[in-house]
Amino acid sequence: MSPEQIISDLHATSLSALEQATTLDALEAIRVDALGRKGKLAEVSKTFGKLAPEERARVGKLLNTVKQDLETRLDQRKTALDSVAIDVRLESEWVDLTAPVPGIRPGSLHPITHVQRELEELFVSLGFAIMDGPEVETEHYNFDALNIPADHPARDAQDTFWLKDGRLLRTHTSPVQIRALEKFGPPLKMIAPGRVFRNEEVDASHEHTFYQLEGMMVDRDVSVAHLLYFMKTLLSAIFHRDVAVRLRPGFFPFVEPGFELDIQCLICGGKGCPVCKHSGWVELLPCGLVNPAVLRAGGVDPEQWNGFAFGLGLTRLAMMRYGIDDIRLFAGGDLRFLRQF
Amino acid sequence: MKFSYNWLRDLVDQLDTPPSELAQLITIKTAESEGVEAHGDDYVIEIDNKSLTHRPDLWGHYGMAREVAAILGRKLIDPVEPQEFPGSAAVRVSIEDHALCPRYSALVFDNVTVKPSPQWLQQRLEAVDLNPINNLVDVTNYVLAELAQPMHAFDAAKLQGSEIMVRPARAGETIKALNDETYTLNPSNLVIADSAGPVAIAGIIGGADSAISNSTTRIVLESANFNASSVRKTSSRLRLRTDASMRFEKAQDPVNTIRGLERAFALLQEVSPGVRLVGGLADNYRPIPVLPPVVLPLDWLNRKLGRAVPEDEVRRILESLEFRVEEIAPRVFSMFVPTWRATKDVTIKEDLVEEVGRMIGYDSIPPVAPLTPARVPPASPEREFHYSVRQMAAAQGFTEVHNYSFISEDMARVFSVDVSAQVQVSNPIVSDQNLLRTSLLPGIWKNIRDNARHFDRFRLFEIGRAIHPDGEVPRFTAAMFAKDDGASGVFELKRLAECLLPGVSVRPADATQSYEHPRRTGDVLCGETNVGRLFEFHPKMVEGGRAAVLDLDLTRLMQLQPTPERYQPLRRFPESAFDLSVVANPRTLIADIQSALEKLAGDALLSIVFLREFALPDGARSLSYRLTVGAPDRTLSAEEVGLVRTRIIEGMRSAGYELRL
Ligand SMILES: [Zn+2]
Repeated sequence: MSPEQIISDLHATSLSALEQATTLDALEAIRVDALGRKGKLAEVSKTFGKLAPEERARVGKLLNTVKQDLETRLDQRKTALDSVAIDVRLESEWVDLTAPVPGIRPGSLHPITHVQRELEELFVSLGFAIMDGPEVETEHYNFDALNIPADHPARDAQDTFWLKDGRLLRTHTSPVQIRALEKFGPPLKMIAPGRVFRNEEVDASHEHTFYQLEGMMVDRDVSVAHLLYFMKTLLSAIFHRDVAVRLRPGFFPFVEPGFELDIQCLICGGKGCPVCKHSGWVELLPCGLVNPAVLRAGGVDPEQWNGFAFGLGLTRLAMMRYGIDDIRLFAGGDLRFLRQF
Repeated sequence: MKFSYNWLRDLVDQLDTPPSELAQLITIKTAESEGVEAHGDDYVIEIDNKSLTHRPDLWGHYGMAREVAAILGRKLIDPVEPQEFPGSAAVRVSIEDHALCPRYSALVFDNVTVKPSPQWLQQRLEAVDLNPINNLVDVTNYVLAELAQPMHAFDAAKLQGSEIMVRPARAGETIKALNDETYTLNPSNLVIADSAGPVAIAGIIGGADSAISNSTTRIVLESANFNASSVRKTSSRLRLRTDASMRFEKAQDPVNTIRGLERAFALLQEVSPGVRLVGGLADNYRPIPVLPPVVLPLDWLNRKLGRAVPEDEVRRILESLEFRVEEIAPRVFSMFVPTWRATKDVTIKEDLVEEVGRMIGYDSIPPVAPLTPARVPPASPEREFHYSVRQMAAAQGFTEVHNYSFISEDMARVFSVDVSAQVQVSNPIVSDQNLLRTSLLPGIWKNIRDNARHFDRFRLFEIGRAIHPDGEVPRFTAAMFAKDDGASGVFELKRLAECLLPGVSVRPADATQSYEHPRRTGDVLCGETNVGRLFEFHPKMVEGGRAAVLDLDLTRLMQLQPTPERYQPLRRFPESAFDLSVVANPRTLIADIQSALEKLAGDALLSIVFLREFALPDGARSLSYRLTVGAPDRTLSAEEVGLVRTRIIEGMRSAGYELRL
């Protein structure tokens, strides 16, 4: 046979073997057999020396063409086999993604923590500092400095836990007003969230332990208009919508004038419904301009400075936010309740 | 406090605003209305007592009528016709201490006939929840409800001697009151007495012995003023609140006693025809202090309200409330406060901001943002830290609880707390919840037992204050419960501790408390500083499972938080690692072997990690560690690494440990 014939036969044989190969090993064997250093094409090329120069050039050209074709075909075939192999592997690696996963899941924070945190961030964004005061207070900070002297009837409204050492459990977060004024002086914008205590029998709507958030701004010429602005901004942020507010007279010894702040009922939009007792308004928080006696008690000259203050019931707000109808759940420690937040 | 609509109509000219609308106006401008109810041909407006605390004048219809007249711009009609009571008094009044009784006025009437009141009077009283009794008593109640002036009628025939004495009770003196209760008094209680003893508890209730009866023909009619705080104290000590005491507690106007008598005289003539005044007015009082006028600069007023109010409107409002207004300088008013608001209600110019503000309507003030410089508020690092602890605990599967600050003495004993060193509550709600917690453990223990009824396993935590006599300490207490007998709880909690404070270690505790598992209790340390306790509850403390607790001092935890300042450059040369297994006694601590290895490894040691333990047949433990060594400036040669390894092995052997190689 002529070398051309041999090359053509080898080409055809290799191509047919290649078609039939199903493994990478078989492909490699074909490659070695045909294209290897000691392979059949190499064998053929050894015989070229006997050929006339023009014939050698022609056969050499054919050899290169066949070599290139086989290499290309081998690569294509290899790619095809790789793809089949990976498909088989992937198919075998099916998992049931609906299977439950072991390991611990996050717990949850107390609903009061959520509401308190949200308000803290809100007030900080409005430039308010967050302050703390002790839960065990003196009569001075809890009452006297807040313009509630010993025989003041307002003390009746705040049933107090007295301690044997003469101190008391704070009945409101308002003492922090005095502590903040003493510590920082004016101008001052601060809030003080925290736990407060009232000596009350516990039922679905009364607790002896609950949370309040006190707020105060002291500056030059703080007005009722400023108070209204902050309350409206704050409440719109809390309730995630524009809320209408109104002030009406309310008596609290540490503010003058003092207000009850109502918000327009969020349930009926002010038309009247059972939630707002058909008045269209819901009483939300007490507030007012800081009484000069309180400023003086905090070491601040009321002729130079004045301010507003308000007290927000965090527990009450959490009840409104989550529709909680039994206040005892907050300190009940029942995970069936607490895990919902 | 209930107000009769018809009564108000008597006192306000042309009052035609419908009752429910009127109630709304009163709510917005004066005091909170709690609703309107029909009562026969009348309507009753109920006002929240709390919103009247500071307004002695509003405890009578005339005071409320003044508000209504001012709100509506109508004329106020005074029901009192001035009268003269000439001549010397038929009764002598002595007052021991005018501070307790600033004024005592009285009239004596003869020829009275005791009988039921006319229908109109009964209806008025019934509308405002006062029971009609007889014409004489009803007149005193009518004046109380109209003018806020409590009065009392004595049967003159039953009073002993010729003098009415207002004096502190003698210790142990008793009085049988109109409600048929007998009260034992002490010198802190003020009484009205005749020569035989107390005939009334001043400002609160009359005595039964001198009460009006069907046979009464001659009466002494008392119209007095008593010190608010004295009445309040006696009323609260005797647990006796009456229509009279509620009013006196609010500091009534001493000027009003005479108006009360004038009004009562007119009414008596109507309900007991033929009644005859005996003698003149008995009136014992100390001079009523005249307070200096309150100066109100109008520009200041506008700045406080945040809205300009025209000068004539300010004047109109204040005059309608019967303040006497004088302009003492341009745009500066001087205000004489009417006596019924001067007892403590209105004393400073801020009080007038309220008077003007509520009458112009707070809804007429537009919200305005204050023009203040923007300042970054001072940080509250402690609060932020507590919040990050909360988040970390929640991320580790723990759910936040809140517990009360109160515990019982029994609970304190369970947790070995010295009861005498705790802050104690004088007036606890439940007598046994009389201590303030010095630890969150009692609450957490209760949470564990309560929730074990619903869950097989759970994790919870609390951040709260432990209250000691010398201060409050924030604490973090976490617990894990599982209905099995394993020891995983303490390890899960140890992991939580490591998450909260990197580098923390746990050291078995030498002495344990009775509620702690003696073999599963340790101190949580950061270096040498104790930051808390890790333990499993003694099995006797928890039924049906195991519960472990991590109890940390948050203040120390915060102080010890690492604060990276400058980073460590990454290593440039390869490191080498090798494993060592040390055979140790059953109770040898992994941490102790580790620190022995660390010491022997010296400076070349980059890290050491405990790999596993393996129990040997003789009960000993084989503890395996992986040690990584290296140098900052070059690659250690195989020989150098071998030297370190040999040094460690020889060191351990000479310390008596066997190594499994
Ligand atoms: Zn509504």
